[in-house]
Amino acid sequence: MAAMLKVDSLGISFGGLKAVDNFNVEIEKNELYGLIGPNGAGKTTVFNLLTGVYQPTSGQIVLGDDNITGLDCEAISKKGIARTFQNIRLFSQLSVLDNVKVGLHNRHEYSTLDGIFRTPKFRKIEREMDEKALSLLKVFDLDGFCNYKASNLPYGQQRKLEIARALATDPKLLLLDEPAAGMNPNETEELMNTIRLVRDKFDMTILLIEHDMKLVSGICDRLTVLNFGQVLKQGQTQDVLHDPEVVKAYLGD
Amino acid sequence: MDKVIAEKKKITRSNLITFAMVIIAYVIVEIMINTGNVSSLFKGLLVPLCIYSILAVSLNLVVGISGELSLGHAGFMCIGAFASSTWSMIMKSTSMPEGLRFFIAIVIGAVTAAFFGFLIGIPVLRLKGDYLAIVTLAFGEIIKNLVNALYFGIDANGLHFSLEDSMHLNMDGGTIIIKGAQGITGTPKNSNFTIGVILLLIVLFIVLNLINSRTGRAVMAIRDNRIAAESVGLNATKFKLLAFTISAAIAGVGGVLYAHNLSSLQALPKNFGYNQSIMILVFVVMGGIGNIRGSVVAAVVLTVLPELLRGLSDYRMLIYAVVLILMMLCTSAPSWIQYRERIMMSFGKNKKVNGKESN
Amino acid sequence: MMSFISYLLNGLSLGSVYAIIALGYTMVYGIAKMLNFAHGDILMVGGYAAFIALNSLGLPVPVAVLVSMVVCTLLGISIEKIAYKPLRKANSLSVLITAIGVSYLLQNLAQLIFTANPKSFTSFVGIEPIKLAGGQLTVSGETVVTIVTCVIIVVCLVTFINKTKAGQAMLAVSEDKGAATLMGVDVNGTISLTFAIGSALAAIGGILLCSAYPTLTPTTGAMPGIKAFVAAVLGGIGSIPGAFIGGIILGVLENLAKAYISSKLSDAIVFSVLIIVLLVKPTGILGKKIMEKV
Repeated sequence: MAAMLKVDSLGISFGGLKAVDNFNVEIEKNELYGLIGPNGAGKTTVFNLLTGVYQPTSGQIVLGDDNITGLDCEAISKKGIARTFQNIRLFSQLSVLDNVKVGLHNRHEYSTLDGIFRTPKFRKIEREMDEKALSLLKVFDLDGFCNYKASNLPYGQQRKLEIARALATDPKLLLLDEPAAGMNPNETEELMNTIRLVRDKFDMTILLIEHDMKLVSGICDRLTVLNFGQVLKQGQTQDVLHDPEVVKAYLGD
Repeated sequence: MDKVIAEKKKITRSNLITFAMVIIAYVIVEIMINTGNVSSLFKGLLVPLCIYSILAVSLNLVVGISGELSLGHAGFMCIGAFASSTWSMIMKSTSMPEGLRFFIAIVIGAVTAAFFGFLIGIPVLRLKGDYLAIVTLAFGEIIKNLVNALYFGIDANGLHFSLEDSMHLNMDGGTIIIKGAQGITGTPKNSNFTIGVILLLIVLFIVLNLINSRTGRAVMAIRDNRIAAESVGLNATKFKLLAFTISAAIAGVGGVLYAHNLSSLQALPKNFGYNQSIMILVFVVMGGIGNIRGSVVAAVVLTVLPELLRGLSDYRMLIYAVVLILMMLCTSAPSWIQYRERIMMSFGKNKKVNGKESN
Repeated sequence: MMSFISYLLNGLSLGSVYAIIALGYTMVYGIAKMLNFAHGDILMVGGYAAFIALNSLGLPVPVAVLVSMVVCTLLGISIEKIAYKPLRKANSLSVLITAIGVSYLLQNLAQLIFTANPKSFTSFVGIEPIKLAGGQLTVSGETVVTIVTCVIIVVCLVTFINKTKAGQAMLAVSEDKGAATLMGVDVNGTISLTFAIGSALAAIGGILLCSAYPTLTPTTGAMPGIKAFVAAVLGGIGSIPGAFIGGIILGVLENLAKAYISSKLSDAIVFSVLIIVLLVKPTGILGKKIMEKV
């Protein structure tokens, strides 16, 4: 089976400090892959490298058949990587619907002039966008809130909206940065179902960072453990979680 | 889908109210003029009201929609004014019909200001917050300063520029159009209230439709969270630049109206300096940041207010300053808002419940 | 050559005035994170206070300076308490507009009281001009006093901030108000102190400015205020050495540009330098770079 994402000896250093060093991973299509590790291990930095927020100092990233190493955020989004953020980043003043419609921006196009003069093309494509956005919101049971201001949504719903917005860009690979952070066990349970649903319904490949081991062992097919910017262990979820080295990295000596 | 359609209708209705307000105000004023109920002082205010409304809308596009603080909008107004006025001066002696000449003047004013907005926007929009504010202020002052030193003339050999004095133009007869600090004298008076209102309506049409389109959503998304916007594939610089350029073009149109409303045009601190930019910013903040209709209302009220206070002569600007401070405290200071709400509560309890429902 | 040195000295003198005003700007910005547009007008009030103390009341020069400083200090503290403090949690634009309102208020009050007619300001400096290089170069007493005062102020301020408890409290508040409160720093007191120092400096700046350019009108403070603001940003707003460097660069540049390039375009040249510096170093010469964490 072909790899959806192939990362080869990826590294970045900030002023001499190697935040991530020699990071390798291969994720297969439709796989649910976990990236775990203690705080400060460099997990979010890996996400920032994959999405073009930071440019790697070494290594290469291949998405499907495209080498996307060194591209910027905009280009990488167009190539098909979407993400959520550890600290939720919504367009807080826009409506829930508009948040998703911004995600659809590059998939449904009309010109600025079409917009100003309200041409038939504008009407047609806006209707398409509304329908598409609503159908995405429906997946997350958010369609009832479509006219709410995003910042007025409860926390759990904001997390879901972020995922919906990411999916709107029609990605090949979805990156979730600590989706269960700040959730209680019931909400986490619900989130696990949502993530599974996303994978199955959208035939999505997902890479997620998470500290909640229940979630990780519940849904991830395979794991990579990162420690001090380097890969500590890689393999099937249960094998990795019971590895003595991994336990030591988490619990200390 | 019903909810989405209902929301769209709400926005359309709100936009229609804005247009209707302008048109009704225009009709009332026209009736008053025709029945002779308007003082000459107030008549003189009509075109400036349109100019300031246009400028406030223009600046709100940058401050409210794009979320960047610009303190140099008077500079774009200055460019629009001088570019269009130069054109009108050159063409004044030809047989071109006046309407067409003024139409082209408006286009020239808008395009020149947009060009400079684009040029300035490229470096400036890399900066953030207060740094962006000071650099736009600096650009505004540079523009005013350069225009003040500029000499421009035209003769059989073509165009002549100088930043020294009229002698350095090396003119062979011909006419000097821009005379340094004296500016341009004799711009045809093409601006009037009707044209001002029409231009204001066009500007409102463009800006309101822009905001409620794919482009406007992108601009606002970048304002709300630049990193998230880039992660869904938006080019933040491109959209910020677009909003800034459109805003500059609109400010340029305000300048065209200004130049063609007065027979002599000079780049003074009071019309094109940072004080003017700040004045426009005051309109935007008072009208509500991001609220286009509010900008127009604030521009009108705050332009008329000092004139209404004219009877108080020396005290009018003082009162204006106090009103400004009190307004800001009343609308933005948490302790004042609490106090205000407590007073409101004691008057009528059910009023507040309705207010909270929307959205 | 002599004329160049003379222009340079005049530039240093003007730059010193900018620096003194810019220090106030920068301190207030550092601690309250607001652009105090009324700062230039406090300078103007300081000028009038000194004018009245010296000319109308006939007080001796040191007392007149003190009176002016006290007036400005009280004014600065009251403005902060009445107009800015209630808005500390509001968005920065509301505070900016309020500051602009305060600026209009001060200018128009001054116009009501003193009229718009310029007052001719008697110089506060009694030192005779110094002749150097066999009489080829004359340095006015004002120039010397201004430059010396500025250096003394900067040295005192840096010492104050680094060596005293109150100074450390200022640094703490400018870094993180919440954490400073938790550590037992009196945040309100510290902010008041900052406004007090900034306003007292504005008074000194006003006296020195009016001594060198002896006309005083209600708008005297406006342009120097803006220039000082530019100086503060140029040096890196929030940084005290930065305000000093920015002020000096601006003053020297302005005078040299006036002398050698074009007197009409000197403002344009000064502002262009600001833009170029910010494009190369987006937070000014000594400003700290802030990165947003993703």
